[in-house]
Order: sequence, then C-alpha cells, then structure tokens
Amino acid sequence: MTAQAAEQLDQQARDALAGLLLAMADDEFVLGFWDSEWTGIAPVLEEDVAIASLAQDEIGHAQALYRLLTDLQGGDPDRLAFGRPPEEYRHARLLDHPRTDWAFTVARRFLYDTADAARLDALVASAHRPLAEVVAKMRREETYHLLHMHAWVERLAGGGEEPRARLEAALERLWPDARCVLGGLDDAPLVAAGVLAEPLAAVEQRWLDGLARVLEPLALPFPFRRDGDRWEPTKAPPAAGCRGPRRADDFLWLWEQFTMVYRSDPEASW
Amino acid sequence: MTGQPMQVFEVFRREREGGPMQHAGNLLAPDPELAAHYAREFYGRRQESVRLWIVPRAAIRDLADPDLLQPPFDRDPDLLQPPFDRSFKKPAGYSAEIKRKLAEARARAGGEGAEDDDPVAASGREGVEQA
Repeated sequence: MTAQAAEQLDQQARDALAGLLLAMADDEFVLGFWDSEWTGIAPVLEEDVAIASLAQDEIGHAQALYRLLTDLQGGDPDRLAFGRPPEEYRHARLLDHPRTDWAFTVARRFLYDTADAARLDALVASAHRPLAEVVAKMRREETYHLLHMHAWVERLAGGGEEPRARLEAALERLWPDARCVLGGLDDAPLVAAGVLAEPLAAVEQRWLDGLARVLEPLALPFPFRRDGDRWEPTKAPPAAGCRGPRRADDFLWLWEQFTMVYRSDPEASW
Repeated sequence: MTGQPMQVFEVFRREREGGPMQHAGNLLAPDPELAAHYAREFYGRRQESVRLWIVPRAAIRDLADPDLLQPPFDRDPDLLQPPFDRSFKKPAGYSAEIKRKLAEARARAGGEGAEDDDPVAASGREGVEQA
C-alpha cells in the first residue's frame, strides 16, 4: 500500500476496504487451520500431503492479506492473526463448522473455493493496486484448489452410496452458511471507489452460474431456481450475523488451539 | 475410498529446461487425474520441476516379464548378463587397459619414475622439493 493509493480513497471507502481485507484474511486463515487438522489422518498419504499443502496455501494468503490491512491502517499482522478475542474475527460462518468427515471438508472447501474465486475475479482489476497484485497471485494457487476440490466432488458423488450420502448431507447442512462468504460486507463504497468491480450480489450470481454447471449434472443439492436471468434461493437466506460477532463453540475451540502459543507470551519475538 | 482400486503411478521429472526426464518416485492414486494432482504436490510445488510425466506402473514393461519375450526352445536369453568379458566395449575398460600397459612398459624400461603411473603428478612433486 502506498500513501498515494490510500489517499485516493475517502474515509468511507477506506473503512469498507479494511472490512473487506479483514474478512478475506480471516476466511483464509480459519479455513487453513481447519484443513490443517487432516495432517496425519487424511484418507490416504497422498491426500494428506495435498490437503496440508492447500491449508498452507490459505495461511500464506491470509498472511499477505493481513499485511495489506496493516499497511492500510497500521498494526502488526501477527497480532491481527493471533492477538484478537474470538468475537473480533470476521470470517464467514461457513468457516465456523469443524472439519467433521472427509466429505464435509470437501463440500465446505468446494463451496468456499468457488465463492472465493468469484470474489477474486471481482478484485483482480481493483483500483487498490496492492490488493490487485495479491489477488493475481492468489488466483494462480486457487485455480489448483478448484481443480482438486472439483475432482473430489465428482468422485464422492459417483463413488457409491455412502460417499454420496455424506456429500449430500454436508452440502445440505452448509448451503445457508456458504452464502455468507459473499455477504456481511459494506460493498457499495467499494464498488463506487473501483476497489470491487461489481456488487457482491452480482458476484454471488456469477458464483451460482458456475456451481450450477457442476452440481446440477451430478444432481447434488443446489437450492436455487432460475428466474429470468437470476438465481433465486429456494430456501431461507442465512441467519443474520454472517461474519460474527457471535461464534459457534467449534470456532471457539479452534481459536483456543491456534492462539494458544501466541497467548502464552504475546510479547515474544519469533 | 472412491470405489476405484488404488494404483501405483511412477513419476518422472525434468529439473530444468534441456535436462533429462529422471525418475522422481512413485505414488498411489485411484486414477490418472488425482495421480497428476499428487505428482504436482510431491514433485512440483516447490518449483523443483519444469515438467512431470505420470505413468501407471502397469504400463511399464520389465525386460524380465515372462510374457514379453519368447526365446526359442525355452532357453534363458540372458540379456542383461552376457557370459563373456565385454569390457573392451566400454571407454573405462579401454583406459584401464592402457594404464596397465603403460605401467608394464615403464617397468620394462626400468629407471626412475617406474613406480609412478602418473608423470604429471610426479613432476609436480619434484617441483615442490626444489622450491
């Protein structure tokens, strides 16, 4: 972040940008920690390496995004990542769920990765150049994440009765909270300032276009119907508080885990 | 896991442009697509490769496969261990032979340096002594 780029934004846009960066960073950070829990216990050794690698990628993305935020408003990225109480995290509620079983992890990652890809598409030409540069790098890695999760969704969907049933159950349970990934943010000032190419409601439509092409042929849960040129939800929208402050106990447990070392001595130098 | 039996895939990698494809290792996957993902994780995600080949082990033929070659009269064709000394076919075999002959010639000629089969090293040693 250069001073010049920051000065081009008015206070309202700067606040909205800070909110966006914190939300994206927390999304990647919390997902990275949940998925790192598979280390040592993934279905096969090869997948153990792959999912740990994906989880590490997300932590790296979070680090880059926390840095953009501290460049904008000051502060220390480590303190942001580890030094906040749980109610100050702004990740989407989709990421409050525990890792559960493998099908659940695949379903959650697939919904998140596809929503995140739609979000990144709307940021790659961002007027906030430092963000556009980070997003360009993130997209290169996220393309592989999409490939890998898509491969798993196909295999679980066609892998017999139990894998399919578990995948369907996970998607049913996660759908309302998945919509939180593209919600809970003040996007109007970001669109006005050219930071975000289009409103998040439009990003969500693009996300659903892409998902329909994968989920409908596999006859997997997709609770939307076509209405003219729009997808209309056939189920209730997600409950309020998509990005906190109230958090599920599962996230409180994860927070205890990933902040444990930091809290033992917040002043330590690593 | 996904209803497909796991297969072994052998992975070959090229470290830099112009280099040879070399065996990297192997992995288990239910199909070629996941094998490609895992090959990339194992041998490509730290920029250590510019190219990867992923080969099902089942596609690899071993010279010793009993159904590959059909030698007449049930004889063992012994293709990897020829019975005669063929060292003359190898550059190393040739130079070893020359060294042996050179040492013999020196021994026959007698005189100083006969014990040294490396005249360059011998002269260098003398130089040090003079200094």
